Amino acid sequence: MQIDDMENAGTPQPIITARAAGLVACPNCGRVHRHPAPARCARCGLALDPGPDKSLQRVLAWLVAGMIVYVPANIYPMLITNTFGHSSESTILEGVVELLQHGSYGVALIVFVASIIIPVIKFAAIGFLALSVRRQSILPPPARHKLYEIVEFIGRWSMIDVFVVAILAALVQLDFAATINPGIAAISFALSVAFTMLSAQSFDPKAIWAERDAAAS
Amino acid sequence: MTDQPLPPLPQIEAGPASVWRNLSVVWLVPVLALAVALGIAWQAYSERGTLIEIRFENAGGVVAGETTVRYRDVVIGAVERVRFSADLQTVVVDARVENEVLPFLDDDATFWVVRPEISAQGISGLSTVVSGVFIQGAWDSEPETPMRSFTGRDRPLLILPGEDGRRITMRVASTLQLQGGAPVFFRGIEVGRLEEPELLADGGLVVNGFIEAPHDQRLSMATRFWDSSGFSVSFGASGLSLDVESLASLVSGGIQFDEVYAGAGPVPDDFVFEIFDSEDAARESAFSVSSVGEVPVSVEFSNFVRGLGIGTPVDLLGLQVGQVTAIRVRTVETSQGPKQRLVVDLSLDPGRMGLRREASSEEVYDFLSDAVASGLRVRLMREGLLTSTIRVELANLATPPPARFDRAAEPYPILPSLTTTLPDLNATAEGLLERLAALPFETLLTQAISTMQSIEELAADPALRQVPAEAVTLLSEARDVLTSEDTQAIPGEARAAVAQLAAILTELREGGGIAAMTAAAQQANAAMGPINEASAQLPALMTNLRALSETAAALELEALVTSANAFLSSADTFIGSEDMAAVPPALSGALTELRSLLVELEAADVTGNLNATLSSTRAAAEGLPALVEQTEAVLTRANTLIASYGDRSPFMTETMDVLREISAAARAISQLASAIERNPSSLITGR
Repeated sequence: MQIDDMENAGTPQPIITARAAGLVACPNCGRVHRHPAPARCARCGLALDPGPDKSLQRVLAWLVAGMIVYVPANIYPMLITNTFGHSSESTILEGVVELLQHGSYGVALIVFVASIIIPVIKFAAIGFLALSVRRQSILPPPARHKLYEIVEFIGRWSMIDVFVVAILAALVQLDFAATINPGIAAISFALSVAFTMLSAQSFDPKAIWAERDAAAS
Repeated sequence: MTDQPLPPLPQIEAGPASVWRNLSVVWLVPVLALAVALGIAWQAYSERGTLIEIRFENAGGVVAGETTVRYRDVVIGAVERVRFSADLQTVVVDARVENEVLPFLDDDATFWVVRPEISAQGISGLSTVVSGVFIQGAWDSEPETPMRSFTGRDRPLLILPGEDGRRITMRVASTLQLQGGAPVFFRGIEVGRLEEPELLADGGLVVNGFIEAPHDQRLSMATRFWDSSGFSVSFGASGLSLDVESLASLVSGGIQFDEVYAGAGPVPDDFVFEIFDSEDAARESAFSVSSVGEVPVSVEFSNFVRGLGIGTPVDLLGLQVGQVTAIRVRTVETSQGPKQRLVVDLSLDPGRMGLRREASSEEVYDFLSDAVASGLRVRLMREGLLTSTIRVELANLATPPPARFDRAAEPYPILPSLTTTLPDLNATAEGLLERLAALPFETLLTQAISTMQSIEELAADPALRQVPAEAVTLLSEARDVLTSEDTQAIPGEARAAVAQLAAILTELREGGGIAAMTAAAQQANAAMGPINEASAQLPALMTNLRALSETAAALELEALVTSANAFLSSADTFIGSEDMAAVPPALSGALTELRSLLVELEAADVTGNLNATLSSTRAAAEGLPALVEQTEAVLTRANTLIASYGDRSPFMTETMDVLREISAAARAISQLASAIERNPSSLITGR
């Protein structure tokens, strides 16, 4: 169904949605039910769509949680490095600045994009999508659907930072000479990424179209 | 189909009437996240600590954000900023420290920068070589008014505040090389440290020290400190001795302490100890110490003495009661014109003289005045025969030359002195050596050797060796005589003779001879009386003997040796005389003669003669009454003789005298020997 939607996205031809056709499909196994669908899928037992309102609440809840934990992720140190008794802590932004000062522009750019740009864009995108379900949007539904696809696809790449920290912390435990420990920010950041991913997953793309249906009807 | 979806829509719209019922459970997640984030933020804020500022002259190595602040080597904070004071004179370090320690950061809190340091006490702060310096803080465990601004020290604090122990102040002789951090030892164990010595305004030098608990309990008024730094070499009669303390104290100085006598009281708070130059000096000061309450007096000597100096001890009854504080020369007008006198100032400690320690000078002068009236005089004494050290002695003389205690003299009262002629050291030593050399050791040895030789000669005389052979021959001859038949007949004859004698005795009893004998026996008994009396006088005699021994003990060595020498030479003469040499031949001759006599006896039928003799005895027995009378007379005479012996006869007296002399001489030798044995050096040092 999604593939169909994608293929038809952007085409001027009017699309008949499942809801308009009085059908509800199970997102897990694909079983199609008639509109006053049972609470659970007749085949796989999955709880069927609780309705656009509940779905939207979930999206917003995860989004808010992700944004909350993103704050300490940027304030607190990501890495705590001990080298011969010297202890240094650096937050994400400090790390980027340090990389820039060392001349590693490429790495600095990657870290900056993966840790700052992408999460911020994700928050904005998900927030925009969630809010546009209820209101008149400047973007047409096909464009918003495209945006949703991008967000879902790119969201996991934000975990790069967390993976790097996890690997470094596990590898560099050389006792007195050098140790690297994850800071509070590492956990916060991982949580933030996870929350935004859950938020994106909770978003029901059908709502994009449902709104248009409602507008059309 | 298409109108079916419509009915549920109104139902869904009816839901939002209650916002809470439609609220998703997922909203708990952001609430939790918010709570956790706020919790972390609050915790971080509350644990952030408080900013304090520490001013340093030099903050070398302190890096903002990296340098830590430590207390007891535990990190309690970190430096946030390093800046200058407004006038650029000091470096101000802003450090954030944990709130936990904040109440203790009062005015006794100190901070210093710990850097690697290599000193005589060892290497410290080595870890800072790689980790960078850190700021060490120290304070006591009593919270007072907290402060926010502190002045850091340049050097590490040697004695940490709050450390258990006792802080003491010691006066230092200027010659001691003491450095801050030098150890304080008690019997070789480090129990404390010294701070940097401080120069007082009057030029004196004091050093504060710290004795760690529980060793501070050992401090008492009897505690003496002495310098144990470096090494000391002393050379004396016992040989060369080299004392080296620990290497640390060798380099940076160190002091030892010990209690020099028992039962001393506790140390008052503001007491100032003194550090002595050596252990001996410290121990000699056992009987007091403080110069507080010492009373000054002066003594004038007419002769100049070498070896007298400031610090020379003043003795009373052999104990030190003070010391010489100054020596000066004074010119006095005498009848023979101006004359120089040596004036010696002494300071006496009333406590050491048996007066109250806090006795006033008036009390001490009263005491001295009385003492001078009863014979106290000041004189100089040499410490030993071979040393040139001099002591000032307060001597009590039985018959002192008249003098008085000049109490009005300025600046101090003057004690009368005795003019002592101290023999020059060299003269004394020379005289001793001469006396030793004059002893006739060699003659003595020669005499002893010749005596031994004479005895040996006597023993080796062949004539003496013949004596046993002669004796054997004599015995065999005697046996021959005894085994002869005539001799065998003797018993029979003898029996007859005895019978005769019995008859004679019967006659005697009848004739009153027994009574005479009894009388003689009684007389003999009476004669024993005086002997008993003489025995009773023996204890007195022993006393005399003892007195004589003491006299003999006082005999000089030369006399003794001479006597011994004379005795040995006379013994030698006796043994070596020709008469003595002739003894063996004479003995031999006597035996020969005896033998020949026996032979003659045998040949002359002596047995027969014996028998005849016995017969004639029997006949003679008849004339016994007359014999009895004679016996009686003899006994009477014997009685007289015994009586004469019993009394203090010349014979007895002479014998006793001889015995006494021998005994005394023996004792004298024994005493001399034991004295030399106890203290061989007394012959040299005179002590």
